[in-house]
Amino acid sequence: MKLKRILSRLALGAVPPILLLVIWYVASVGSVVVPSIGSVLEVLAHPFREPPALDATSLASGAAVSVLRVVCGFGLAAATAVPVGILVGRSRTAMAMLSPTMSAAMVISPIAWIPVAIIAFGLSSPATALFGDEAWRYGLLDRVRFAIVAVIWLGAFFPIALNAAAGARGVRDSHIEAARVLGAGRRQVLAKIILPGAAPAIMTGLRVGGGIAWRVIIAAEIFPGTRSGLGYMIATAHEQASYQYAFASIIVIGAIGLGLDGLLRLAARRVSRWQPKER
Amino acid sequence: MAGDAGVVRFDGVSKRYATPARGEVWALRAFDLLCPAGQLTCVLGPSGCGKTTLLRLAAGLEPPTRGRITIDGRPVDGPAPGVGLVSQEGGLLPWRRVIDDVALGLEIRGVGRAERRTEARRAIRRVHLPPEVEAALPHELSGGMRQRVALARALCTGPRILLMDEPFASVDEPTRHRLQDELVRLWEADGQTILFVTHSVEEAVTLADRLVVMTFSQAVADLPVTLPRPRDRLAPDFVDMLLRVRQTFEAEAADAPPPG
Repeated sequence: MKLKRILSRLALGAVPPILLLVIWYVASVGSVVVPSIGSVLEVLAHPFREPPALDATSLASGAAVSVLRVVCGFGLAAATAVPVGILVGRSRTAMAMLSPTMSAAMVISPIAWIPVAIIAFGLSSPATALFGDEAWRYGLLDRVRFAIVAVIWLGAFFPIALNAAAGARGVRDSHIEAARVLGAGRRQVLAKIILPGAAPAIMTGLRVGGGIAWRVIIAAEIFPGTRSGLGYMIATAHEQASYQYAFASIIVIGAIGLGLDGLLRLAARRVSRWQPKER
Repeated sequence: MAGDAGVVRFDGVSKRYATPARGEVWALRAFDLLCPAGQLTCVLGPSGCGKTTLLRLAAGLEPPTRGRITIDGRPVDGPAPGVGLVSQEGGLLPWRRVIDDVALGLEIRGVGRAERRTEARRAIRRVHLPPEVEAALPHELSGGMRQRVALARALCTGPRILLMDEPFASVDEPTRHRLQDELVRLWEADGQTILFVTHSVEEAVTLADRLVVMTFSQAVADLPVTLPRPRDRLAPDFVDMLLRVRQTFEAEAADAPPPG
């Protein structure tokens, strides 16, 4: 019975991709712009092959660079936004000081920050900061540009911080007081009450922030000065009319995004399992 | 478990709150009370008379506006070791399994996992909960079970003073009677000082050694309850005491000034 339900859910989930494939197939017949399904599968089947007609690294290398940039920007956002959010959620002064700015910044598209980030950081990277002129020797480290990481950080920071603030604000005073009466100090209240109590909201923020980070990276990699990543591959493929690489990159972006969201959803389920299901 | 000490004293304690709707409200006014060690004192009063404030001040969760509260002669200036609090809704942590919630006080004190789990299991047994509930989350339990868990958590650290804020108010009557009887059994075994607030005259007469009647912000009567234990709620002397306390309670409530 359960297997039947799972299969039926999978079948339903497969309907939109199959429809898309059909539309794609029809659109590609006789078209010089829309690549054939076969040509895209060819690119996907050889992810480590350098595109012969394209000034870009391989698909796998581009994906690795994009993932690394997202991991850095998103990791930084999570590490800074959760403490800030909890501070805003639990301190009236911090809320009065930061909440309006956070709410305003939240509605600004992260893409709008790209020029600002390029002005602020230029083409510098951890490799240029550490090794100066020798930075080119440290390929992957050199591609993690501060400007791109900053834009991802900005994109992911606000949803994570605002959700953490809402979660921390929602922790009941009676729970904090129960721990205080049992002898908990500030740190123990934070670790044993506020963080676990706010965890479901924090995880929601991480999922939203993760999705934004992954969307922002593609836009950020299209901007000047970037010569690697999936966004760069899409832009270059477009310029050189090698659309099979653009389509292959889009499929990889979707697959990685699905995997990232799946991981975050698992983590969210784990920290939220104490919440009774509403029926 | 509880040691010899456990004296709670309120000397001229007043507490004022600023509320957005009603401005300044005095929840307590010049309140005096001495709870000797090992006594089960019930504070009986209507909703909003300041009972909960009394316990919050004794627990060190808030400072008084005026006056002084001491525990064993030491001023209360924050939550003190050896004091347990059980609130009306239990205050159980919804993300913790029962055994971990009961062991929270020991965890905070840095007791190792194995030892604190042993102690938590003992506390769970003492409040007559079956071992199966150890792995349950609070929302999987009935109201009565949740209150037992809250009591077990308070008992697990071996407090010499238990502050109880209408802990059985939200459970059905048969469960409430059972919980009251079990509380008395545990108190007789451990000998803590218990300060129990309630708005139920029957509950106060069932439990108390001594009964303090409160109307708005003040204590208005202090009555000893000398009925033998275990108390039979249908016995003539119990019913007689119940009626006398109810008369006092209702007369004082009628004469009381409006709150604030």
